[in-house]
Amino acid sequence: MGLSVRERGDCVSTFRWIEVRLMETLASWVPTTPEMEVKLLFGAHIWDAAQHADWLGKRTHELRLAMHHGTEPSSEYVALLAELAETAETPKRVVGFYDAVLPDLLARFSSYLERVDQLLDAPTLRILDRITSDVGRMTAESRSLRDELPALGLVEGDWLSGFRNRLAAMGDVVQYRPRRSTEAQPA
Amino acid sequence: MTPSNGIGMIEVRGGVMLRADPARESCFTVVHHQDDMAHLGDEYPPTPASQREKLHTDFNNEIQSLEIAAQTLVDFPDAPWVLRTELARQCWDETRHARLCLIRLEAKGGYKGEFPIINQEWGVVCRFDSLAARLAVQNRLFEGGSLDVLQELVGMWADVGDHDTSDVTDAIIADEVRHVGFGNEWLDEIRKANPRDFLKALAAMNELGLIATALAPAIESEMPHDVAVNNEDRARAGFST
Repeated sequence: MGLSVRERGDCVSTFRWIEVRLMETLASWVPTTPEMEVKLLFGAHIWDAAQHADWLGKRTHELRLAMHHGTEPSSEYVALLAELAETAETPKRVVGFYDAVLPDLLARFSSYLERVDQLLDAPTLRILDRITSDVGRMTAESRSLRDELPALGLVEGDWLSGFRNRLAAMGDVVQYRPRRSTEAQPA
Repeated sequence: MTPSNGIGMIEVRGGVMLRADPARESCFTVVHHQDDMAHLGDEYPPTPASQREKLHTDFNNEIQSLEIAAQTLVDFPDAPWVLRTELARQCWDETRHARLCLIRLEAKGGYKGEFPIINQEWGVVCRFDSLAARLAVQNRLFEGGSLDVLQELVGMWADVGDHDTSDVTDAIIADEVRHVGFGNEWLDEIRKANPRDFLKALAAMNELGLIATALAPAIESEMPHDVAVNNEDRARAGFST
């Protein structure tokens, strides 16, 4: 049947932690980004990330964790998100967020979906479907803005591919709680 | 560690300390005193240039409201989750308002940077390091006051025949009611749960009076008359009449 309730709780609460961190990152960028159109893009997507965190946080409670429980991912992943958050250049903020972090998050959702029973974990699937749809819109909005203002997509050399590779190389970033002795081995 | 953007403080007139300006594009002339704004006149109905200045100011005010809500998310990572979602929703609302003001400005031939801007609301609100103070000053006082001012502008835009801007302004008021409302609700929660924090809100309101005196413009206000109180929307936002 794939991941246990406990492991699914760990994964969902990690996704929730990530969405809160993305919300905070966008919020920290709003006052420090001079380009008005980018400021407005980030500002609108704060609400998207907050909603995602909210849906996931309610689901954590259904998976035997506290309401809105967040599980911090691996320290390596946290550090990479912090590195992006501290980036001052607007083009790096835009491409790092929309072309690296968000697609990587969707890939993590896909990996999760491969490891759970679709019927058993249907409530989580619904939430991830909705987030995936939102992320598609958010990314499209960022692309549309870059079409209008091409300088926003300009980052040096292989910065983006390097950032993407570092994310992808991390594998599973969920920090699972130790298994109870009565639980089956993971799938 | 929660992201922090490290925006410091600046000293302005009268030794008043404000939060340093948020980032603006180079097309904008940022000033620090109301006296340095354009002040295109108080005649009614307003001239086309005065209308553009009004929308240009409103555009920057909406941006500041976005920045204040966003900075409050940054500065208070331990605030209750439900309050954080209210602030996040406010961020989205303010982006829509800013876009709407810019669209109306451009429809009148205006453009970003046409007039000087001032980020005083941001500077004053974000100088306070307590969540209760931010909610009291920004959501209850400033946004509460905007319910009255915007209601007057709905009529002003209709009077000059600009029904599109009048409708936009009315829609903005409807959104602002919630921003004022959650500020009032959470201030009440703080008052009950932690009276000491609530005292910080009261202290901030007191301090605000001193700041207003120090920063008062030498030039007479653009709206020297009394603005009518928008009782209906204030009641919706939780003010007692």
